[in-house]
Amino acid sequence: MAQILKTLGNPFVKNVLSAQETLAFAGVVISKVFSRRSYNSATKMVLVNQIYFTAVEILPLFITVSIIFGSLLIGIVFAVIKDLGLAEYLGSILMGFVVTELAPFITVLLIALRSSSAIDAEIAVMKVNQELNTLSLFNIDVLDYLFVPRIVNGMVSVVLLSCLFSILVLGSGMLFSFFIFGMGLDTYGNTLLNSTKFSDIVIMLLKCMTFGFFITLIPIRFGLRASHELTSIPVAVLNGMVKVFIAIVIIEVLSLILRFI
Amino acid sequence: MAKNIERKVGLFIVITTALIVASVVYIAYKKDVFTPTHTYTLASKSGDNLTEGMPVVFSGFKIGKVEKLELNDNGLVMIQISVPRRHVKWLRTDTRFVLEKPIIGTPRIVVMTANFVHPLLDEQTVREMTVTSDINEIVKMIQPVLDRVNSIVTSADKLTAALASPQGDLSRTLANAQVLTSKLSQKDSLLEMAVADRESVKSVHQALTQVKDITGQVDAILKKVDAMAVKTDASLYGQDGALVSVSKILKDLLAKLRKLETTVDNVNRLSTDATGATGDLKGLRLDIEATIRSINDLAGDIDRLIPLKKEPEIRLP
Amino acid sequence: MQKAIALHKARLGMVSAQAPLISNLDAWLNVALIRQYHENLPRDRARREVLASLDRFGMGAIADRRISSLEDQERFCIMLLRAAMVKRAVLVIDRPFQIMPDLQDARYVGRSLKWIDDLYEECHIFDYVWMKDHYGALHGEEH
Repeated sequence: MAQILKTLGNPFVKNVLSAQETLAFAGVVISKVFSRRSYNSATKMVLVNQIYFTAVEILPLFITVSIIFGSLLIGIVFAVIKDLGLAEYLGSILMGFVVTELAPFITVLLIALRSSSAIDAEIAVMKVNQELNTLSLFNIDVLDYLFVPRIVNGMVSVVLLSCLFSILVLGSGMLFSFFIFGMGLDTYGNTLLNSTKFSDIVIMLLKCMTFGFFITLIPIRFGLRASHELTSIPVAVLNGMVKVFIAIVIIEVLSLILRFI
Repeated sequence: MAKNIERKVGLFIVITTALIVASVVYIAYKKDVFTPTHTYTLASKSGDNLTEGMPVVFSGFKIGKVEKLELNDNGLVMIQISVPRRHVKWLRTDTRFVLEKPIIGTPRIVVMTANFVHPLLDEQTVREMTVTSDINEIVKMIQPVLDRVNSIVTSADKLTAALASPQGDLSRTLANAQVLTSKLSQKDSLLEMAVADRESVKSVHQALTQVKDITGQVDAILKKVDAMAVKTDASLYGQDGALVSVSKILKDLLAKLRKLETTVDNVNRLSTDATGATGDLKGLRLDIEATIRSINDLAGDIDRLIPLKKEPEIRLP
Repeated sequence: MQKAIALHKARLGMVSAQAPLISNLDAWLNVALIRQYHENLPRDRARREVLASLDRFGMGAIADRRISSLEDQERFCIMLLRAAMVKRAVLVIDRPFQIMPDLQDARYVGRSLKWIDDLYEECHIFDYVWMKDHYGALHGEEH
């Protein structure tokens, strides 16, 4: 019995401690993010590069996915709600589902798959190569130089790309509704406007920032856990990505609770 | 390379931010965030289903929203609604405010203005808000009707028994109608009847008099039926019910008379030289018209007494 | 060596295989990083200065190359320049023959230090005692 309890309790305690450490680390990083001293020519360069590799380089793919996905999704939603006689709820569905839920979710998935794994591997490689040791010998704070730009990039990229996704989906949906379903542009616009709530937009932006924060912070933390052996790199990436996925689910659930209370 | 990256990142941030800001400003503009608003106060006995921010709708378009809800000293719920200046024109002194509670979807306050000749609604005036029935209230209203239906069914049993009797008024009327229709059908040719045989014209007049008698008798029966307030029994009003049979006979009679009317019109056109008959034919034509009218009215009365001829329909809000 | 590192922590310019170049930065960025970070030197000015100092070694061409594509001596020069970028730098060169295993003696190290002698205040070279023959004229005190 005691053995069973130990078997069950051990991973639980481990996970709780890990979550606690991550949150404590998040607190330190947040204070750094809002400190002016964290920003200098070097960190700005890293930030620009990170935004380029995370958000700009991915743009052609992202725009294509948004337009195709958006048109199809709105077409299907439109056809279904028309059949059900709920056409007047088109706006609520588009604003409540596509803008506040789907856009951040698709964006964060895309960025997590592409950039979070890259960040995790990059930090793990730097640890294995002793490059973090170099930075410390030259009195360069790794939090300032490596972590803050990546985390700020995560927040900025997810927010901007989510908004872009929403705009593209609603834009392509407008054309789709006009040409396929013959819905007037004014009607479409009014339907959306009637269902738009500023509180939803604020929650969506906060959610995107939280997503961006954690999908970069967690890989950094797990990258740092790599040892000096090359074989520790894939382990660090694997563990980090699983935790990123869990974080995405937790944030999604929390945001849903926040919206409906 | 680095310069190129900086330029691309800058361009991306500027364009995306501009798009987002433009969208937010557009939404704010369209949602009248920058437009001055007018505040009106409504009073309601209950605050049920009222929430701050709920829409105020005119002809299906949102023209305002509920700003504030508070309970006054008299126990009335005071509802403050804000309406942007450009929508103020829809609110007149005769405007009614109704709280609509659909089964699906959120409740809303519907503005109903019948006449735009009336002056604009004053912001200081407190208007009463009424509540439309939702499904529960409809059920509550239906309950007494259902109770009455029970008693009607009992009365209907008695009435059908009376109508089914061979000595009853209805049976006699039906017999008369049968005689008349067979007489009309026995006439060989209406042309011959109208032009060559003056006696035939007379006999048509007689037939029409008989029709009037029949309609009078049926009318009397209908009045009796109406007095018994029987409105739902299927055996009386259903597909094969007694009243439906009467209605069918009358419609049959009507069709025959219409045929007669057409024939008389044709005779009128053809027999230009038969001057002697023309005067009688005109009289005959007028008689037929009057009879058709009276039978039409009677058929209408019967239809009125058959409320279950259509499927019952409950309109949901 | 640990004593020297602790003593000159704030002005330490470390050249060591244990303090490798940052692999995801170009050669010139590894050098520029120090002044960009500590002195907030703008990128363009930092690049100009790095290119000028690389020219002292006749290595201007390697500025935009990735670290993995550099020769041992080129890598040593970048490390040395990076260390010299520290304000009033105290250079600590740890086992230079570990960085440049093909080197026969320390003359190249001496020459390199001469090219940049205006960029640092002190320089300490640490190596194993049995390597002292490699240093010849550079030979100083033993630790």
